[in-house]
Amino acid sequence: MWSELRADARLYSALRWPGRSSALRRAFIWVRSRGLLILTVQRLLHRYLVRRQQRGWTVETIALRILFVFAPRFIILLAKSDVAASTVIGSGVYLSDGGHLILGPQSIGRGCVIHARVTIGVRAGEEVLPVVCDEVWIGPDSVIYGNVSLGHGATVLPGSVLSMSVAPRTVVGGNPAIIVRRDFDNRQLRHTLATDIDRESLTAR
Amino acid sequence: MSTFTRAARADINRCLSADAHSTWQVLGAWRRELGLRAVLVYRLGRLLQAWRTRALLWPLLPFGWLLYGLGVLLVRKGYGIHLSLTADIGAGFWVGHFGGVEVVNCRLGERCSVGQQTRVGRHDEPDGPQVGDGVWIGAHARIFGPAKIGTGATIAPGARVSRNVPDHALVAGDPGRVIFRNYDNTRILPR
Repeated sequence: MWSELRADARLYSALRWPGRSSALRRAFIWVRSRGLLILTVQRLLHRYLVRRQQRGWTVETIALRILFVFAPRFIILLAKSDVAASTVIGSGVYLSDGGHLILGPQSIGRGCVIHARVTIGVRAGEEVLPVVCDEVWIGPDSVIYGNVSLGHGATVLPGSVLSMSVAPRTVVGGNPAIIVRRDFDNRQLRHTLATDIDRESLTAR
Repeated sequence: MSTFTRAARADINRCLSADAHSTWQVLGAWRRELGLRAVLVYRLGRLLQAWRTRALLWPLLPFGWLLYGLGVLLVRKGYGIHLSLTADIGAGFWVGHFGGVEVVNCRLGERCSVGQQTRVGRHDEPDGPQVGDGVWIGAHARIFGPAKIGTGATIAPGARVSRNVPDHALVAGDPGRVIFRNYDNTRILPR
């Protein structure tokens, strides 16, 4: 968990202050970034669920159980966000500081970037959770629901409403979402905090 | 008073699993469901508005509005659920998640449900949408303009609706289109 958190902090400071990352900045980033706070709390609560199953009640799980009472409410008041404790989150994930995230997927892969006001959850009346693979970029105001998996390196444009699976390295967008482009490298997108892409540059070959 | 208690009872019932409910279960629902808090604060505001015509209750009004003000502060700033008193919400309203919910200048029937980031009505439009009974409004949906939404209609997540919707229809997309003419949403309605 600690190595994952360190990777998160490194990613956050690289995104927020590009080229000026230092140990001091990384220490203060927990105070300055709501997204990292959400992520930290989620990792602690996920650790509670795992340790509780593995080892039962120990000093660690009791302490984390007490955290479980207060921390989610604090996160709601601070960022209006709710990330399910059962979600398995990879290392080096960026969650937006803008908040309003309601995330309940089965897993979020490493290197994902998720912007503000995104909902990922079950389709009403069903119980299959979506899966988000590694290095996926999800734009603001997107909704992803149902029995869906987002492939490695997929890109979801801002304001999309997605209820179908997305192949790796594919760009989807719109409401309802359609495939905008196949075989797109979103590395550039994930290395800045830009919230949108020039759509004409996407469609032009 | 009777409309207030009836509406509040219906709101609480939507959050409980069984029909028979003890005080403990009601308190548990209050603790668990942040949407229920927002709805009950809204009901208090409507009750105080109704008390304006009853002179005997006027001494209670300042305390009531103070309580309402504190509740609204928590619900709007803390949970991001904005249920304006200009909206006329029927009994048994259910707010699924917190964050970005805005219900303004509109009429909602009984047993409606909304998700997070939902906007029903606009501040600058006095004649907002008229929503029927038992309508399920998914997350991130927007309903604008003088639209009439029929009884038992379903607004899919992310839909933008500004036109009339027939009864029991399912609407999705931007702009909203009717996908199914006869969709039974009782399966997805909570309770």
